[in-house]
Amino acid sequence: MNIFAQMRREFAAFFYSPIAYVLIAAATVLNGIVFLLVVDFLSDPRAPHGAAMQMFFGGTIFFWIVAMMVTPLITMRMLSEEKSSGTLETLLTAPISDLQVVLAKYAAAVAFYIVLWVPTAAYPITLSFYSKIDMGPVLAGYLGTLGVGMMFLALGMFFSSLTKNQIISALLSFAAVVVLFMLGIFEFISAGGSSDSMLGYMNLWTHMEDFGRGIVDTRHLVYYGSVVAFALFCTVQAVQARRWRG
Amino acid sequence: MIKVEHLTKRFAATTAVDDISFDVQPNEVLGFLGPNGAGKSTTLKIITGFFSATSGKVEVDGQDVFRRPEAVKRFIGYLPENVPLYPEMRVHEYLGYRAALKRVPRSKRKKTVEQSIERCRLFDVRKRIIGQLSKGYRQRVGLADALVGNPRILILDEPTIGLDPNQIRQIRELIKELGQERTIILSSHILPEVEAVCSRVLIINEGKIVGQGRPEELRAGIVGGSASVTVEVRDPGGTARAALQGVAGVRSVEDPEDRGDGLIRFAVTADPDIGVRERIFDAAVTGGFKLLGLSSKTLSLEDVFVEITTRDDYDEVDGSREDEEEAQ
Repeated sequence: MNIFAQMRREFAAFFYSPIAYVLIAAATVLNGIVFLLVVDFLSDPRAPHGAAMQMFFGGTIFFWIVAMMVTPLITMRMLSEEKSSGTLETLLTAPISDLQVVLAKYAAAVAFYIVLWVPTAAYPITLSFYSKIDMGPVLAGYLGTLGVGMMFLALGMFFSSLTKNQIISALLSFAAVVVLFMLGIFEFISAGGSSDSMLGYMNLWTHMEDFGRGIVDTRHLVYYGSVVAFALFCTVQAVQARRWRG
Repeated sequence: MIKVEHLTKRFAATTAVDDISFDVQPNEVLGFLGPNGAGKSTTLKIITGFFSATSGKVEVDGQDVFRRPEAVKRFIGYLPENVPLYPEMRVHEYLGYRAALKRVPRSKRKKTVEQSIERCRLFDVRKRIIGQLSKGYRQRVGLADALVGNPRILILDEPTIGLDPNQIRQIRELIKELGQERTIILSSHILPEVEAVCSRVLIINEGKIVGQGRPEELRAGIVGGSASVTVEVRDPGGTARAALQGVAGVRSVEDPEDRGDGLIRFAVTADPDIGVRERIFDAAVTGGFKLLGLSSKTLSLEDVFVEITTRDDYDEVDGSREDEEEAQ
């Protein structure tokens, strides 16, 4: 299937530029610092009782900083670069549909995002030498990380399809991701009522707290899936719009 | 093989392609000739399915390009203008990826890539990074990409632009060779180029077809059935002009240009027939002046367009060009 050929190229393309290495290094350092702080904090006898990985995923703002900073940088070049260099033309005149192109690129972005989190697997492994680790919540935490990341990446794909300029693409995606995150946070300051449950449904912060505790709530996953589907649909429409623009 | 019917493409304010219809027969090499912004690239982008038309229809091998783009794209090899490539990939890597993208079965990929590399003489640079190659090589990588998978139809948008004369000759030879078993549409704004490789030519200006035919017919038609010959003589006696005017087939002798030392150059307009030059030679022998140079002038596109499109709204053509690029 040629969609896999496209995916392979997209994934390899990350590593042609220094961006991949910078991102991997930055994410690893940031996550490492967060993990160190978490462990340091919990090893204080006066600290509340808690599991390190639970706090790593759901307990601090740092997780969100990494997730929200990194995803726009992953997707910024996806379609913008093809548009600005003209390669979109060679790509879309090959026997591959616009939808397949978008899906292949998205899959490559998700794969790269997963690669970014692979080094953090060292944390639960390290912890397991010193204490007993409950793997359920850890896996749920990774599932949440993947879900939230997939949602952010899909939004990033859409903004990348709107502009030739990678920086604009990254800034717009970052803004969108921040808005999406803040919407949920409003639950905490909302006066209650019907908007409350609505915002609660979208509250990524509590979602990650749940995942960190090992609770896999399918409503959260459905929410991520809906955003992903909608954003990718819009991306395909934006790619197709080139044909009709006049 | 390719059938274009009443094709129109409008961008915001301009009409890039205006009700164009033409057919391309199997194994025909069709040249698309026109100035920048005439609508050549837009037409080619519509045929390859990158743009849609505002109205009209394009059929490739009996299938509608808009309805069944993927079926049609499978047997088209396309070299876009400016040859967009991924600069960070290696030549053979890129061609391998393109072969997979074009659904060449895994077992045949290596062979088709090797063939393309050989045909476009890329063997020496196959392991180099595309971004570091010269313009000429990159052009050939683009062409090699178009050839990957051995498509029945090749659409080449300005295939020789930016190449040096040697490379241009090589590419022309290649296109001629390829044209023996394929249908090719190639666009150009260089008349001799189109003349060298195409069996039929369409001249397009401001989105409309303004002339078509075989290159010889077209040239004859464009200059009103006359040929321009430059004659350089050493003429101490001053008899040359009258003698030239007396040659059968010569219509006028103009612009004597005195180059000193008895050397004079004339611009002769004559019937389009090789015999005229022979008779000029004979006239020189009998007329007692020395013939130093005799050449028929090659028509440039500028000449053609002065003839075909003597209009004063030429700036608008440039305007539409910009719109076209923005729309991409």
